[in-house]
Amino acid sequence: MANVSFTNVRKSFGEFTALENLDLEIHDGEFVALLGPSGCGKSTTLRMLAGLEFPTSGEISIGGRVVNDLAPGKRDIAMVFQSYALYPHMTVGENIAYPLKKRGMKKPERDEAVRRAAELLQLEPLLHRKPKQLSGGQQQRVALGRALVREPRVFLLDEPLSNLDAKLRSYMRAELIELHRRLGKTMVYVTHDQLEAMTMADRIAVMYGGRVQQFDTPDAVYNRPANRFVAGFIGTPPMNQIEGTVQGASFVIGDHHQAITRANFAPSLLDGAAVLGVRPEFVGIHDSGDGLPATVRLAENTGHETIVTLELTDKTRIMSRVEAGRKLRVGQPVALRFDPAGIHLFEATENGLRLNLDTPVAAAQPLRTA
Amino acid sequence: MTSKMLRPIILNVVTWTLVLMISFPLFWMIVTSLKPQTELFRIPPTWLPETVTFEHYWRLLTETPFLRFFRNSVVLATSTTVFVVALGTLGAYSLVRFRFRGRETMAMLVLFTYLLPSVVLIIPLYLMMVWLGISNTLFSLILAHTTFALPYALWLLRSFMEGIPDDLENAALVDGASRLGAFKDVILPQLLPGIISTALFTFILSWNEYLYALVLVNSESVAPLTTGVMTMLISAFNIEWSLLMAASVMMSVPLIIVFAFLQSYLTSGFGAGGVKG
Repeated sequence: MANVSFTNVRKSFGEFTALENLDLEIHDGEFVALLGPSGCGKSTTLRMLAGLEFPTSGEISIGGRVVNDLAPGKRDIAMVFQSYALYPHMTVGENIAYPLKKRGMKKPERDEAVRRAAELLQLEPLLHRKPKQLSGGQQQRVALGRALVREPRVFLLDEPLSNLDAKLRSYMRAELIELHRRLGKTMVYVTHDQLEAMTMADRIAVMYGGRVQQFDTPDAVYNRPANRFVAGFIGTPPMNQIEGTVQGASFVIGDHHQAITRANFAPSLLDGAAVLGVRPEFVGIHDSGDGLPATVRLAENTGHETIVTLELTDKTRIMSRVEAGRKLRVGQPVALRFDPAGIHLFEATENGLRLNLDTPVAAAQPLRTA
Repeated sequence: MTSKMLRPIILNVVTWTLVLMISFPLFWMIVTSLKPQTELFRIPPTWLPETVTFEHYWRLLTETPFLRFFRNSVVLATSTTVFVVALGTLGAYSLVRFRFRGRETMAMLVLFTYLLPSVVLIIPLYLMMVWLGISNTLFSLILAHTTFALPYALWLLRSFMEGIPDDLENAALVDGASRLGAFKDVILPQLLPGIISTALFTFILSWNEYLYALVLVNSESVAPLTTGVMTMLISAFNIEWSLLMAASVMMSVPLIIVFAFLQSYLTSGFGAGGVKG
């Protein structure tokens, strides 16, 4: 068993608190992504798990054993660094063999283990080269090889793909998913790239300001964001957030009344200021008729869809995602209609909580209107 | 157009003039050491010796304590280098890798010795050696040389150390190495150019040092080359020029050999020191 848990962990560097009230329960064999903008504390979390930083308070355990005071080498973990951190003076083979050597494995067994790892990652022809002579993708595979050669209980990956070009990154993403499936080991993966987190992870911990904002499946993080930060961070483009007021069964934006079903929302939703969240795919653009009045500001055709930037009368900008063939003129007045199934309401505070009672949204389908 | 042509010419003339000016004493030293006594003070002087003789070298090696001085110098410079590199490497490591109160202040304070002329430091240093009961030994000179070579070595090694990514060491720690193991396996090999250039710098400094050796050591049996040769060959009445020049040539040979092999490290060291220091 190699479940990982953080219990009420706090980390401060002098005056600065990097992490607060961190509670994470990662199951055995699970692939968890720590996702957030830079400075959110995700790397610190990983480094504490590795034993390279020590928590100011709280408890970290691996496989049920508290590891707070355990040296990195004694935790039975392996880590892939963003910079790969390959030992420049050793060959690829020596790099991969190093963790085995440090654990006192005999040379013949070591060579056999290195050979297996090299075979898995197609590194065999490169074993005698020095890291400097390899391409970025090859270096990355060597770093992976060094991590998996000793079959640790937990893999830690710190933005392992961010130094690769886009094409190689998507290839390596698939490789990593495949590797995780094959090894079945617990993996903790730090990234600022939501695409990586969404496609690879079983669960995502979205972090911001030293706190976990939401820890859930990619589907839940996307469709049921816990608060305004998560809603605004996940999705490209992210969820639109429009300030307005709740009045009975409608949400009022300027002069426009958007109907809402109060039964879908928590009882704590009272009349007054609130924020309406709606993903771009739920924003329908109509040439005329009923709807929230807006002006087309920009239409970006990506080939399979068009991302439209719209401006409301109070200059708020919101985005819509429509089919590729759609013809829209810049400056054209339009009426926007939101699919009721895609409407979220948040508290009006800076990082307000989401107030939906979740049943209808999960079943919602994106709306494509002509 | 002409200025474009002129530029390299002027540059070359200036450079070669400098090179000749610097190398002339060396040339003259070698020439003098090879001339027989009779040709030495002839006017006008001969540019190249008419008869080449190695008699001065022979006399130095067989009739004088030159070899003992040489041995003392080798022991002195080598021990100083070992001390300085060992202490400097560990010190630089702690300055770069650990965060502790007063870290920068300490690094600056170490350089403080350079603000004082060594003449000021010699007397207290001498008294300390006497108090420790090691005055007039080679070991006291080794300690003294270490005190003035270490600060610069520390800064030089520090700038090299700063160039080694933290993650390399972290990777070794995660891979199961102890802190000392990671230092040995990963940091030291990366630091090698820095260590070589620091060692070279220290060795040269210690090999050529004169003032401390003159004051701290006065017995002939422990004197290094610099002071030993001087007191042996220069008296109030006479200077043995040919012997002095032969001794100078032999003193320079080890440095020239070391320098020839390792000069790229030395210059890279000065570069690293220049950027950060």
